[in-house]
Amino acid sequence: MNCKKAGVFISASVDGELSLIEEQEFLLHLSECKECSLEFEEAKRTKMIIREKIIKFKAPQALISSIMQLTSFSTKEHEDTLLYE
Amino acid sequence: MDKPDPTHHTKNREKKESLSREERQKQLEFQHEAVVHLNTLYNYALHLTMNPSDAEDLVQETYLKAYRFFNSFERGTNCKAWLFKILKNNYINRFRKNSKEPGKVDYDLIKDFYHSIKDTRTDTSETDTDYFHSLLHEEVYQALHSLPEEFREVIQLCDIEGFTYEEIANMVESPIGTVRSRLYRGRKLLREQLEGYAKKYGFNTDNI
Repeated sequence: MNCKKAGVFISASVDGELSLIEEQEFLLHLSECKECSLEFEEAKRTKMIIREKIIKFKAPQALISSIMQLTSFSTKEHEDTLLYE
Repeated sequence: MDKPDPTHHTKNREKKESLSREERQKQLEFQHEAVVHLNTLYNYALHLTMNPSDAEDLVQETYLKAYRFFNSFERGTNCKAWLFKILKNNYINRFRKNSKEPGKVDYDLIKDFYHSIKDTRTDTSETDTDYFHSLLHEEVYQALHSLPEEFREVIQLCDIEGFTYEEIANMVESPIGTVRSRLYRGRKLLREQLEGYAKKYGFNTDNI
């Protein structure tokens, strides 16, 4: 494996998306190439940074209420019908 | 008004009750499978539109559609991925096909939000030399948003939402190999951006 091919493998390996054979091929290259090993460590950190630093916004209460209403509308209608009867 | 026929009335009520029971079951399942992803769906919509009211509309539409077509959801598969795909399609239909522009991008809102978060640069005593830890939320966010959409999208779906390559490939309607290489190239671009910030703070990134 050359370093160019290893680049894509680094990215996929960080995500645990290499096949068993690819992973072995990749690890073999890492053991021989210091540059790619460093690159691999860096890639892991970059992924971590994104996970940690990108804020997840929460849905506003009004939206939660309206979605809940959407899925309980018929139930409520059913209850109303029963009440009316 | 005629007095209602009591037999008819009972029959009618029975029919209603059984229909409702079915409907009720669907609702329970829908809440259990789909509604639990509301926050993450809204977050994704907000990142797509960068406008809270557009994001709310998108999520509303998505859930309406998802509920209507809930029977076609393949049980046992990832419901979150299914919802994301519906949302993405809605987004394209709304803002791309009709060449309608999304509402005004609310950069200020996002900026304010990120500013309201404690500056993590002050409490990183043991990792002073680590430029990654010096990055602000806002900077990582900006770096991500500076990427072309095709790259940003896969990074977001993979790193933030935790989807597998197969799920992402299905969502963006491209082969897995494409997802793989987009992630690789996108991350490379993102790193360059982040290193730009690091240089700004005087960190030496030559060895990285």
